[in-house]
Amino acid sequence: MNLEKIEILERTLKRERAARKAAEKILEDKSRELYLLSEELQETNLKLENLLDEKSSELKGVFENILDAYVVMDLSGNVLKFNDAATALFGYDVTKEKLNVLNLIYEEDEVYAMTSFGELKTKGFFKNYEARVITKSKEIKWVHINASIIFDRNNLPIAAQGIVRDITHLKLLEEQKKQILNKLEKSNEELYEYAHVVSHDLKSPLRTIDALLSWIKADNLEKFDSETVQNIELIEKTVENMDSLISDILSYSSADFAAEEVDVNLNKVLQNIKTTLFIPTNITLSISPNLPIVKGDSTKFQQLFQNLISNAIKFNDKEEGLIEIDFIEEPTFYQFSVKDNGLGIEKEFHEKIFKVFQSLTKREDSTGIGLSIVKKIVDLYKGNIWLESTPNVGTTFYFTIKK
Amino acid sequence: MKGIVFTEFLDLVEEKFGIEMVDKIISESNLESEGAYTSIGTYRFSEMLQLLQSLHKNSGISIDKLLLTYGEHFFSVIDKSYSGLLATYKDPIEMLSSIENHIHVEVKKIYPDAELPEFVVEEKTEDSLILIYKSSRAMHHFGLGLMNKTFEHFNSSATIVLEKIKEDGTEVKFVIKKNPHESREN
Repeated sequence: MNLEKIEILERTLKRERAARKAAEKILEDKSRELYLLSEELQETNLKLENLLDEKSSELKGVFENILDAYVVMDLSGNVLKFNDAATALFGYDVTKEKLNVLNLIYEEDEVYAMTSFGELKTKGFFKNYEARVITKSKEIKWVHINASIIFDRNNLPIAAQGIVRDITHLKLLEEQKKQILNKLEKSNEELYEYAHVVSHDLKSPLRTIDALLSWIKADNLEKFDSETVQNIELIEKTVENMDSLISDILSYSSADFAAEEVDVNLNKVLQNIKTTLFIPTNITLSISPNLPIVKGDSTKFQQLFQNLISNAIKFNDKEEGLIEIDFIEEPTFYQFSVKDNGLGIEKEFHEKIFKVFQSLTKREDSTGIGLSIVKKIVDLYKGNIWLESTPNVGTTFYFTIKK
Repeated sequence: MKGIVFTEFLDLVEEKFGIEMVDKIISESNLESEGAYTSIGTYRFSEMLQLLQSLHKNSGISIDKLLLTYGEHFFSVIDKSYSGLLATYKDPIEMLSSIENHIHVEVKKIYPDAELPEFVVEEKTEDSLILIYKSSRAMHHFGLGLMNKTFEHFNSSATIVLEKIKEDGTEVKFVIKKNPHESREN
């Protein structure tokens, strides 16, 4: 081998060595990079595993602790999982026996059930499904179900889950409530009829007594001494009171029977009261102009205002009596006020006065029913009634009527 | 430029011209790497240019011809190392038209920093293909060599015409026509 060739080979060898070292360095750097990367990946993996454990444990807790029944099924309705509440509700132990939810459906609800099942598949969920199911022991139960599809990571449906609430008891109560309401309505009607008949029957002997008394008085005017005449007049007065008591009871018993609702112009109602009611000359009744038009029964509104106004007249002891009717409009209701400068009512009686037969005074012209009727009418129109009063200064009654 | 292009090139030079030629062209060039190449390294493209120039000067063979031969040689490298990739194709036209959307995508997975030429399909039929080559390296004949071997790989041949769109060869049109089956057998 000549010298030149040796030199060439030496240079080649040198280059090859340098190349090898460069390659080794590159590989070393690469493997270090890979090592660090894999460390990082392991750490991330660990974190993800922890997160998964945490979430799984959370879900397990929800699954076990939820009071409602929790059901997981495949897309054909085969039950995959029941929590304890579900096992208790349906009576099946799905770890030991196969169950398809179709077997739980109550026959009459089948169409509704299949429609909801279809909705679950197309929309991915259904809510507020209420129907009957048949348990293993052939018991019929009412259930409320919210269900949704479970998707895998590629967003493909793989199963469905549902939360099932036993509402049998609730349904039973609802049914009972309906029955009781029906019964109540019927007995109310009967009561009203009864009150009507009784008041009529009670009033006719009263009228007879009244007529007989006036005859006795006329026939014996000279024979009776003044004391007897006075006693007879007292009897007449008592009979009169009794008559109005009977009338009041009748109107009280009918106060919560709403007639057909029409537009009622309260300005007309109040004008009517002003002309028919006896107002002593020392009392001024001032009525706010432009009272609203409300919906309801005009005789009820007449009764309502009339009772409050006549109360205000009755219990006014001032030389110059004043009664003011006013109102304000709120978004959903009207608020009316009847203000007087009369006797006033002690705070302790503010509740009591609305109760039937609770007259604060033993006045002959007071039956103690007026304010109870007022309360009933306000209740009928979904309003409230209350009062502000200062003894010896006056009282203001407030009440609201829903628009 | 990836090291494998250099190592394979020098191997081919040694095989065709002998180890003296390899030593000569390295010594004559001003190389940052000093000619110590490893296939997993990355080197300046200017080194390849100098080596080509030097080889052209010392062998009298044109650079295009050198690149063509090198391209043909390089196909065997691909065939040896990435036969799996080639096996996904059944037809040379199919394969060449997928350079951009499939082959180069795979290359990028292994060599994320590789700078690859662009091959835009302009027209394609069952047995013809027009590709536009775009690269600042102007190594179109290297591409031509690879294409020739591609047809050979699928037991067929083609007539490939090169039309320079840009004078410096950075944009070239390849008009490829697959030869009828019989002509190859004759």
